[in-house]
Amino acid sequence: MIEWSEQHKQIRSMVRRFVETEIVPQIDELEHGDTPPYEVLRKMLKTFGIGEMAKGKFLADLERTKKGEVREKKEREGFHAASADAMAMQLIPIIELCRHSPGMVTALGVSIGLTAGAIQRKGTLAQQEEFVPPLLTLEKVGAWAITEPGSGSDAFGSMKASARRDGDDYILNGSKTFITNGPYADTIVFICRLEGAPGPDGELPIVSFILDRGTPGLEQSKPLRKMGMHSSPTGQLFLDDVRVPKSRLLGESEEGGARKSAKDTFGSERTGVAAMSLGIIERCLELCKEYSKTRVQFGKAIGEFQLIQLKLAKMEVARMNVQNLVFRQIELAGYGKHMDLAEASAAKLYCAQSAMEVCLEAVQLFGGNGYMAEYRVEQLCRDAKVLQIYGGTDEIQISQIARSMLRDV
Amino acid sequence: MKILVPIKRVADPDNANKVKVSGDGTQVTSEGLEWKMNPFDEWSLEAALRLTEDGAKKTRTGEVVLVTIGPKDAAQTVRTGLSMGAERGILVEANDQELDSNMVAQILKAIVDKEKPDLVVMGKQTVDGDSNVAGTVLAELLGWPLANYAMSLATDDDGKTLTVKRELDTGVSTIKVTGPAVITTSDRILKPESVKNGVTPADFKYPEAEGGRYASLKGIMAAKKKPIDEVTAASLGATPQKTLSYLKFELPAARSGQTTFVESVEELVQKLKSDAKVL
Repeated sequence: MIEWSEQHKQIRSMVRRFVETEIVPQIDELEHGDTPPYEVLRKMLKTFGIGEMAKGKFLADLERTKKGEVREKKEREGFHAASADAMAMQLIPIIELCRHSPGMVTALGVSIGLTAGAIQRKGTLAQQEEFVPPLLTLEKVGAWAITEPGSGSDAFGSMKASARRDGDDYILNGSKTFITNGPYADTIVFICRLEGAPGPDGELPIVSFILDRGTPGLEQSKPLRKMGMHSSPTGQLFLDDVRVPKSRLLGESEEGGARKSAKDTFGSERTGVAAMSLGIIERCLELCKEYSKTRVQFGKAIGEFQLIQLKLAKMEVARMNVQNLVFRQIELAGYGKHMDLAEASAAKLYCAQSAMEVCLEAVQLFGGNGYMAEYRVEQLCRDAKVLQIYGGTDEIQISQIARSMLRDV
Repeated sequence: MKILVPIKRVADPDNANKVKVSGDGTQVTSEGLEWKMNPFDEWSLEAALRLTEDGAKKTRTGEVVLVTIGPKDAAQTVRTGLSMGAERGILVEANDQELDSNMVAQILKAIVDKEKPDLVVMGKQTVDGDSNVAGTVLAELLGWPLANYAMSLATDDDGKTLTVKRELDTGVSTIKVTGPAVITTSDRILKPESVKNGVTPADFKYPEAEGGRYASLKGIMAAKKKPIDEVTAASLGATPQKTLSYLKFELPAARSGQTTFVESVEELVQKLKSDAKVL
């Protein structure tokens, strides 16, 4: 893929129009106020038929699985435009939302991508049928809870949250933090250790449970104050002897597949960051180009100064590279492939760093104005920082890339 | 009901600063311009779609045929209309620079003769030429009734007669027209209850919007498979004659864009005299 197709551009202009009419006018309320993002996101899914389309496809697949029709994943020869377009259709709204409000993507991605995705991959048919459809349309808000006060990058090693068997039920305890959608989530995938006998690897198995808002013993905190991504509410979860039946154990299996499932989730989380970065970079560059042409200092437009030109040129290089990584993801999807974890890590590392550099340079280019909220680049700058932290920090990505290379030596 | 909706692509008003006039001043150059559907046409398409659907059930009950006159890549604008819900499209190949409103009306007449629609619904004007002529001339050529500047449309029980409210400087004029007819629409046609077709429940309200409906992703995918016939004026048997020639185009004078801050009223008056030269 070397450029966006006419169809891609059409989707882009439709989504852009929606973002500019429905989100931009209330951006201050979403980014600096207390308006949660869900209502406008629901409207977006409904307007473009995204939620219904995903739900329809999910239910049809589920029906086939129930009938015992195993859909063989055929090794396909060659390039299939429809698969590539399906990927483009996922990524274009992410890019467009990130031009103004990257937090929206986080809120949406965690609910649809992580939470519904985890249940879809590991849940029993009954669990999938009950919990996935309302998450896909955002009728219910989802949260995926792994991080704890004492466990971040070492997610499993330091995990304290636990489940113990009590008759046919499980009793859950522990606390989770930095949970996207935590304050408002209706459906929570809670990841913890299962007390009892260690698995074959000598570790306690990691399992997941599906929890509803309002379950006795479950407390969802108010949104935490944070540096950026204000349109994506983040909170803490506290579980104090929460009793759940076995039907809430994801996959109804104690085998501890949650470790693998969580890792799969990391992979898909990482690929989204390229598209997010592209939206942020495109917008910064657009604002900077305009400002360079209109801001006059020392009697000429600042764009005529070479130090400004250097900033713009570097931003453009970043935009090209990140766009190419997005194109690669789309092209791979056309071939029925996706980036492996090491490549996804490399892409995530590069894109997150590029977005941050571009944002910082954008603030610098705008000078005092850049430091003011009115000119918007400061918001994108604060938002971009988290791309280097969540979904695996830069440092974790680096070690992932290095490990994968050295393994092959 | 079958409705013909003529649409034109225009330079994206959001990128209007990129419009250039050729060196000799005889034409507007289109190189590097981003195109979009003329907003008035987008709104007329919205009205046509509302007339031919059950808005509540979101099912189509009639046919909307789009027609555009322009170069081959104007098909993209037709595709946009198809993704909003129109059934099919026609592209009459022509060079924008060699057309005038009269020729457009003559070509449209040839299309109407072939397609035999129940209505032609079109924007009252385009935002580039701003002539506000094509719809009126088309009605004259066809000998059909004309309801221009429509702000609301309602079909009567017979399905052929329409009650049309027309938005005029002096107020609102309400008329009845019996199809086939030409209708040109104003922006108020987008109001939530501006179109009544006897199929969509009378109390149904469309969402408040500043433009036509958003194409859904499904609609965009479906549009790829909808047919766009490519024809020429000659293949339609039309020999449109140009009656208007453009003598000269010029861009509006550039604004300086400089802001000057003053300390006192005296200084302001002085600046208005010396710098702005308006006193």
